[in-house]
Amino acid sequence: MTGRLVDEVRSLLRAAVDAHRDDPDTAELLRRRLDRMDGPLRVALAGKAEAGKSTLLDALAGEEVTPTGTRVVTHRHGPTPGVAGSPAVDRPARDLPDVTLTDTPDVSATRIPAAEDEADAVLYLMRHLHSADLRLLASFHDRGVARATPVHTVAVLSRADEVGAGRIDALMSARRVARRHRADPRLRGLCQTVVPVAGLIARTARTLRHDEYTALAALAAAPRAEAESAMLSVDRFTRAGPDHAGLLARFGLFGVRLSLGLIRQGFADPVRLAAELRRRSGLDELRGTLSVLFGERRDLLKARSALLAVDAVLRDQAAPHTVPLLTEVERVLADAHEFAELRTIGVLRSGAVAFPAGAGEEAERLLGGAGAGVWTRLAVPADTARRDQRAAAWAALGRWQRWAENPLSSRDFVDVARVVVRSCEGLVDQLDD
Amino acid sequence: MSGRTPIEVVDLALRAVRVRDREDLAVRLAQTRRRLLDPEVRVLVVGEFKQGKSQLVNALVNAPVCPVDDDVATAVPTAVRHAATPHAVLVDAAGTRTGVPVGALAEHVSEAGNPGNRRGLRFAEVGLPRSLLAGGLCLVDTPGVGGPGSAHGADALTALPSADAVVVVSDAAQEYTATELDFLRQAALVCPTVVCVLTKIDLYPDWRRVAERDRAHLAAADLPADLLPVSSVLRLHAVRTGDRALDRESGFPALLPLVRERIAGRASDLAAASVAHDVRAVAHQLATAVEAELSAHRDPRRAAALVVGLREARERADALRERSARWQQTLNDGVADLISDVEFDLRDRMRRITREAEAELDGVDPALVEEQFTGWVRQRVSAESAANFAWTHQRARWLSGQVADHFAHDGGDVLPDLRGHDPSAPLAHAVALEFPVPEGFGFGRRLVTGIRGGYGGTLMVGMLGTVGGLALVNPLSLAAGVLLGRKVVRDERRRMLERRRTDAKAAVRRFLDDVVFQLGKDSRDMLRELQRDLRDHFTGRAAELSRSLGESIKSAQRSVDADADERTARGAELRAELDGVAGLVAAADALAGPVGALR
Repeated sequence: MTGRLVDEVRSLLRAAVDAHRDDPDTAELLRRRLDRMDGPLRVALAGKAEAGKSTLLDALAGEEVTPTGTRVVTHRHGPTPGVAGSPAVDRPARDLPDVTLTDTPDVSATRIPAAEDEADAVLYLMRHLHSADLRLLASFHDRGVARATPVHTVAVLSRADEVGAGRIDALMSARRVARRHRADPRLRGLCQTVVPVAGLIARTARTLRHDEYTALAALAAAPRAEAESAMLSVDRFTRAGPDHAGLLARFGLFGVRLSLGLIRQGFADPVRLAAELRRRSGLDELRGTLSVLFGERRDLLKARSALLAVDAVLRDQAAPHTVPLLTEVERVLADAHEFAELRTIGVLRSGAVAFPAGAGEEAERLLGGAGAGVWTRLAVPADTARRDQRAAAWAALGRWQRWAENPLSSRDFVDVARVVVRSCEGLVDQLDD
Repeated sequence: MSGRTPIEVVDLALRAVRVRDREDLAVRLAQTRRRLLDPEVRVLVVGEFKQGKSQLVNALVNAPVCPVDDDVATAVPTAVRHAATPHAVLVDAAGTRTGVPVGALAEHVSEAGNPGNRRGLRFAEVGLPRSLLAGGLCLVDTPGVGGPGSAHGADALTALPSADAVVVVSDAAQEYTATELDFLRQAALVCPTVVCVLTKIDLYPDWRRVAERDRAHLAAADLPADLLPVSSVLRLHAVRTGDRALDRESGFPALLPLVRERIAGRASDLAAASVAHDVRAVAHQLATAVEAELSAHRDPRRAAALVVGLREARERADALRERSARWQQTLNDGVADLISDVEFDLRDRMRRITREAEAELDGVDPALVEEQFTGWVRQRVSAESAANFAWTHQRARWLSGQVADHFAHDGGDVLPDLRGHDPSAPLAHAVALEFPVPEGFGFGRRLVTGIRGGYGGTLMVGMLGTVGGLALVNPLSLAAGVLLGRKVVRDERRRMLERRRTDAKAAVRRFLDDVVFQLGKDSRDMLRELQRDLRDHFTGRAAELSRSLGESIKSAQRSVDADADERTARGAELRAELDGVAGLVAAADALAGPVGALR
């Protein structure tokens, strides 16, 4: 479905490059955009200071990324001249194919991130949901119609291991907090979902070394009272052994507590411990969410950011001969059903339209809000027979058609229902091939 | 310290003035004494949400009185005081008090049991038998500032001027943010004592670096506050297990004396400063009389010149008592200016909110966003009025300093105690903001409206048709009817949306009007009261001054008239008296010493 759109965007970009051939800088910028259409999806990690951006980047990328060519480090200036931002670091994510993660300088209430302009999607990291975070998230959306959709943003509760003040059930609490945030209408309009991740634990789990395991195992084998007294505070723990400062830096106090508990429970070799730590860190959920929400929509998100870039350039350097191009951009933005879907998801999430019970969730799913795959949209298991999938698609189509044509439905609802109907038609089409 | 308590020093001074028949000074000292005997010291524990404020209070009193949770916990301020038996009381907006078991308090004050303070509680009170609290210390745990949509965030700022001390809590996860520093700056402006506490040091290996950076931030912002790293978890654990080493690590042994002596010791330290100030001022006035007589004794020839000087001084002091005195003018003009400035500031702030709210309303359907919107307005109003209040307080203090300058010449520049002018209960609760119920536009009304429009359309086109020989009801006229009907329904819907917007805007404007009205009245009352207090205070000072100088003149005169023998005897007497006064000053200085060192 996205194929046609991508082709359209490509030819638009080519035309734009052609139109600006007298201006080498702009032409180069647009050409880079064109190249990026074939490249990986760029996801920016944004957040305030100390939100755990680099840690999560390491965790997602896996630290074994060798310096021989695969790891690209680019230095980018901070968004405001004169303010030295930390360098942006681009890394291919190892097992998120076709995704490049970008670390960005810290953002603060006064500094709006520029990285978002360059990225196709944003992973927003926060410790707690502060009102400043809400303002920042909103600032991602304040520019133009096509952007006013939460579709390219996922919020991450990034220091989940600290939620319960290092108690052993901290991650459970973090999930509870994330669930509450997900249901918060203010946040729903700003990001797709909220995922809790213990970044530090995730990173360590992916790169657990044998000597670390041995040190932990020795601690676990020590008399319990002694170990517990040592683990009351970071200071005590550091004093209790020469290599403990290193352990703390890698695991955090919560990570050490958790690891010891797991080793005592029988996860008694490095591989199993690492796997369990990773499972508990929430990294896999985040990865799954990313692959569904960003990965499956890769082309669409790239096309979207490319279009916005072209739009910005054309508006910035308006010339008589580029006016038709601008019209063409408007046309693609307005015409492409994929964008209509994104916009509608935005409308749904803003809660401005009243729905019959359950219909809102179904609409969002059918529009691809939970993932662009056919079965995700239809909410059927992935191994369902094609025939049954088709039946489900037809059923959904019929239901939404009735809603769309119901004279008693409100205008806004009918608008949404029409887009959903078109999505259903697309599904039926896809399944009929 | 010389071992004298402030109350003893005051009593000493009282005896000294009674011996000299200075009832006016005695009245003033009696006031000082009364203030000393009311020992309640309010300490606000404030900070952003999820920094460990409630846990800090719990660890300070070693009891789980304030609810602690992994998610946002505190919804209602909780005041913890001393009591012989543990008890808890809820106070609602109307002032009704309801007793609850201490264990069940969490259900009422936590975000989980009472989300967004839906029950409209003003605060909760807890009494606990703890020696820490016995000196009159009252710890107030407040809801966190900066949480999304926490309307009570600004209340902390409003409550600041009425507090004797603020404990600003921030955790060791990161250094101070810009918002936290802003808050600290504002707190330092309106509150005499600010203590910064860095919590959760048991959890973050980097806490020393964070503490260092925070201290640097404090120094850079020129805030004279201490920063104490503590761990509430370690403290609670240490108390449970009786582990002294662990207790030391928790940082509480450093915090507790601070709370006990520097904060709770308003009775012994902070108040001591004002006692010392008062006593020194009294001693100064006593000494003037004695010194005048003494120097007249030493050199009778110059006594005449001395009397002339003293007379002039008394004239100055008498002038201060006149209604037309310069300080009276400063005060009256100052208060009038202040009232108009404060009202202008308030109106300006509310106007800005109105403008923002109207711009906001233009883009949305008020019926759909009512709850969010009213919450937002309320929050803005409460934040702005808090800022206005803090500013008023600051200006008022500056004004009293201005007035006191007029007295500087004769050593009467004693500033009155300005605290005690508590803000009245946060008004945003008292005034209601509700949008009018929107007109329903159900199926029935839509149908009627549509038919009405359609009927007109059909008739219009049909009549035209009849001219051309068609039937009144023909496909063309029917189509026109349908089209017109739809248009009328659409117009009606648009009209109703417009109407809802206009209504909502009117409601917001009415609400803000009420707020300005009520707040304006409150601040005007407060400033008038302040004016009266300042006037009484300084009139009293002027009277004392005049009387002291009168006594001096009398004694100097006496020594001029006395003969040689009398003079010698009187000289010894006077020297002894002067020694007594000097002892009083020494005692006052001893009181003030440690405070100066601490601050």
